[in-house]
Amino acid sequence: MGDTLSYFLMAWLDPSLLMLTAIGTLAGIYVGAIPGLSVTMATSILISFTFSWDVNDALALIVGIYTGGVYGGSRTAIMLNIPGAPSSVATSFDGYPLAQQGEAGRAIGLSTVMSVIGGLLGTLVLASVAPFLADMALEFAPRDYFLIAALGLLLVGSLAAESLSRGIFAAAMGAVIGLVGLDPVTADPRFTLGSMQLMGGIHYVVVMIGMFGVAEAFFQLHQLNAKPVRQKVDKIIPSLRLVLKYLPLSIRTSLIGVIVGALPGTGGDIASLFAYDHAKRSVKNPSKPFGQGAYEGLVAPETANNAAVGGAYVPMLTLGMPGDAVTAIIIGALIIHGLNPGPMLMIQTPHIFWFTVGNLVLANIFLLIFGLTGIKIFAKVVELPKAILIPLILVLCVVGSYSLNSSMTQVYWMLGFGLLGYFMKIFRFQMGPVILGVILGPLMDQTYRQAMSSVGDDSGAFLLSLVTNPLSLVLTIAVVLLLLSNTPLKRVFRRRGQA
Amino acid sequence: MIKQILATLAVSAGALAAASPALADYPERNVQGIIQWGAGGATDTVARSLTPHVEDALGTSIILNNRPGGTGVIGMNAVMQQPANGYTVLYGAENPQLYPIMGLADFDYSDMTPVNVIGQGLVVIAAPADSQFDSFKDLLDYAHQHPGELRMGGTGAGGLPSTVLAMVNSVDSLDVRNVTFGGDGPGITALLGDHIDFMPLSLAAAQDQIAAGRLKGLAVFTKEKIKELPDTPPITQALPKIESYLPWGPFWAVAVRKDTPDDIVATLSDAYQKGVANEDFQTFLSENGGKSLNLQGEEAEKFLKHWQSVTAWALQKAGGAKVSPEEVGIPKP
Repeated sequence: MGDTLSYFLMAWLDPSLLMLTAIGTLAGIYVGAIPGLSVTMATSILISFTFSWDVNDALALIVGIYTGGVYGGSRTAIMLNIPGAPSSVATSFDGYPLAQQGEAGRAIGLSTVMSVIGGLLGTLVLASVAPFLADMALEFAPRDYFLIAALGLLLVGSLAAESLSRGIFAAAMGAVIGLVGLDPVTADPRFTLGSMQLMGGIHYVVVMIGMFGVAEAFFQLHQLNAKPVRQKVDKIIPSLRLVLKYLPLSIRTSLIGVIVGALPGTGGDIASLFAYDHAKRSVKNPSKPFGQGAYEGLVAPETANNAAVGGAYVPMLTLGMPGDAVTAIIIGALIIHGLNPGPMLMIQTPHIFWFTVGNLVLANIFLLIFGLTGIKIFAKVVELPKAILIPLILVLCVVGSYSLNSSMTQVYWMLGFGLLGYFMKIFRFQMGPVILGVILGPLMDQTYRQAMSSVGDDSGAFLLSLVTNPLSLVLTIAVVLLLLSNTPLKRVFRRRGQA
Repeated sequence: MIKQILATLAVSAGALAAASPALADYPERNVQGIIQWGAGGATDTVARSLTPHVEDALGTSIILNNRPGGTGVIGMNAVMQQPANGYTVLYGAENPQLYPIMGLADFDYSDMTPVNVIGQGLVVIAAPADSQFDSFKDLLDYAHQHPGELRMGGTGAGGLPSTVLAMVNSVDSLDVRNVTFGGDGPGITALLGDHIDFMPLSLAAAQDQIAAGRLKGLAVFTKEKIKELPDTPPITQALPKIESYLPWGPFWAVAVRKDTPDDIVATLSDAYQKGVANEDFQTFLSENGGKSLNLQGEEAEKFLKHWQSVTAWALQKAGGAKVSPEEVGIPKP
């Protein structure tokens, strides 16, 4: 117990570790806010940079970057309708409408507090039930991931605002984009048109930057002379009453975040979309209708994506298996520093677990401080004249996509998707479902084929396995219910219930 | 004024042009290192642990960049597009040697100049801790009686598990369901959850799990027992005939474009030789289930050719090659 407390407080009491966590969090907020500059990239650069450092120093910095980065993506999502990372896509749905109503400052304030609540709840779950949660995550067979992906694709029902058919079209397009590249099983090129550049597939962040960033910039040219919305900069810090009001919702969405985050193979991007859908379904009287600036639509994804950070550490610290791309890099860093990030990690280096937990709490405190200061200046960005703002957005988009892997190919792709997104916007297609398809299409493809080959390519046995295993059965029922809730059948049932 | 600036520019451009043939100065700026696999993987970890030691010997910084995708084709192609001046080096794994027979690209390491073959990884065939099999022989016996029933974790065509399976199948018969995962990590997760029955893995990825008793080692892919896993029998115990392929394992290499001047290749080779020999890096390799090779020049080329010929023909024999090795000029071992 004494050991636990001293490991927990390691980063709190050591001035240099404290500083590194603070610097990491601050840097993470800005790295996360720029589309294309991702936490994954920042951590992998840091690893070369921190090679000669003490391992604790490196870990403190990475925890800060990770926590700050996941939050930072929401800033640009709210102010410019350009999510800084895929995990902030859902934040833009209600965050940007709020900014257009002059509430950018309040939206950022609320998202900061909610991110911290999500981050702390995720850490609490990590600290209290990590081994149990890790064992539970191992129970998920390929068929269960397939069902989760199917469940995710059905979210198109709540992401497609006005037209379901347009939403389905956009999601299907996203899924096809996600399938470009080498077939994961046979290594045959798929949809590559004989181009070597396409063999590596199309990076989903490129699609995101193009469709949200460039398309948005082009679209704003339509209202070039419109006067920017004046931003209210009072009451930026949400009142305790408001926070308490959303506490039940934020606890539920944090749980979604931490569980989806703990599953190796799914992360904050999917978690935040699930959480948004959950809010849309469970909140009967949102502050404004969803999609037009509902606070609930901000609370749900922001708590979930930060809770997913704690979740992602669960399999990493207990099993040595990455929960997402960032923890995969942290594992690489531990190896380089001579530690064994495996099941023996907690035995050979017992301090790592509580040190990380302590660090996550600390990073969330810094997040609250840094997140709530300087909002007034940030909110003013929205008031910039379009003639300055639009070129600025385009520059950020180019920098972000180029830095994905220092290649101009990505920039051309990004511009291409920007143009496509612009025309889709004109024809009132939503961009959210496209991203949903790009992320989930490949996951569904791979897990479906894993599940099928596990049962010897026997469709009958595959379908049977979906209902004979308890976990799979629960997920199958969820898929069926979600599917039905998107059909006219539901209205029929509801009418009968009322009659 | 403008004329003056232009004149200055012209003079300095001339000076630059005159200076550049003086290659003895290499390296006079940073070197780009392109890693053909993603961040956090084995190739990435090896590259990032080795590079600081090479930087010391080379006297300049090496900026590392991951260019994953297409089983490494993207990264290798990127290096081959850059000028042959030694300022772009490839950190690669074994995959390029199989591109021709997998129909992925028409180039392999013979289209580049090897700077160093860093080391080779060992392979272990692992099963869940509560598996009914205690050795690879048990598993083979079961598979002979129940063909097409066992689920093997794989990483796709041309990946390590499929190559190991091909080698086994060229001397015996092992009919399994091949379940494909994105890499060793997701495969191990599936093993821990009992979703597959066995998987050939790199020792680096599996040894801690085996040591902790969460996975069981059925066989190591060597002729003799290894010190890292003293309780796991060598594969030759179950399959004596497989010996002709051994020792076999994935490897990591550094290469530059083919027409790079000899003196630059020599400078690089020298720096990498010192880097790999560094005590810290050697400790890192051995702790992570790798065997140091540190080969340069002709020795490196010989190693690469031999590896390619053995592997390609084993795949061909088991029906795993899409293009016959003969067609792309790979000699029989």
